[in-house]
Amino acid sequence: MEKAIYIRVKRHKTTYFIQCDPTETTLDIKQKLQELIDQPCSNQRLTLVTSSEILDDSKTLAEQKVENDTIVALTLRKDDNEFEEVYIARVEDYTSFS
Amino acid sequence: MKKEDTVKLISSEGFEFVVDKTAAMVSHTIRNMLTSPGSFSETQHGEVTFPEISTLILEKICQYFYWHLQYASGKETEFHIEPEITLELMMAANYLHT
Repeated sequence: MEKAIYIRVKRHKTTYFIQCDPTETTLDIKQKLQELIDQPCSNQRLTLVTSSEILDDSKTLAEQKVENDTIVALTLRKDDNEFEEVYIARVEDYTSFS
Repeated sequence: MKKEDTVKLISSEGFEFVVDKTAAMVSHTIRNMLTSPGSFSETQHGEVTFPEISTLILEKICQYFYWHLQYASGKETEFHIEPEITLELMMAANYLHT
């Protein structure tokens, strides 16, 4: 059974396409990501790129207006326990003319 | 969602797209790589590099994979293609047998 939607989770030069349902919570998404990035849910933060709004673990995707093909930024907890800044690499910065 | 069920597609600028194998296999070229016995060392590590495909185009192709799955399961939405990328996208789609 295919999931209804997918979201694009981005960090640095990587994009994760994650299949999900609008009724799933942010925590459900973090559990899926946990398998892929080897980082526990508590060390992940998901931020809506368009509004810079941090997604709430207990709320569903639908409640937070996360729809099909939405881009969400992933940030991870650093050694000092703070979260890193949102950083998504832009392709223009890596275009080579060789 | 398990790491083994995903594949990492890498663009010419080194950007990475992590997608479900079922989605990537919409491309016959990638399907052959993933299912041929013993060949293609890249696919054993779950990574395929496309030095000829730019980041913009590769991301569009990944979006197409998921659109294709959604469409196949009955959702009728259009797949939007920006006119300026049409030619490059067609050449990549031809190469990928998508």
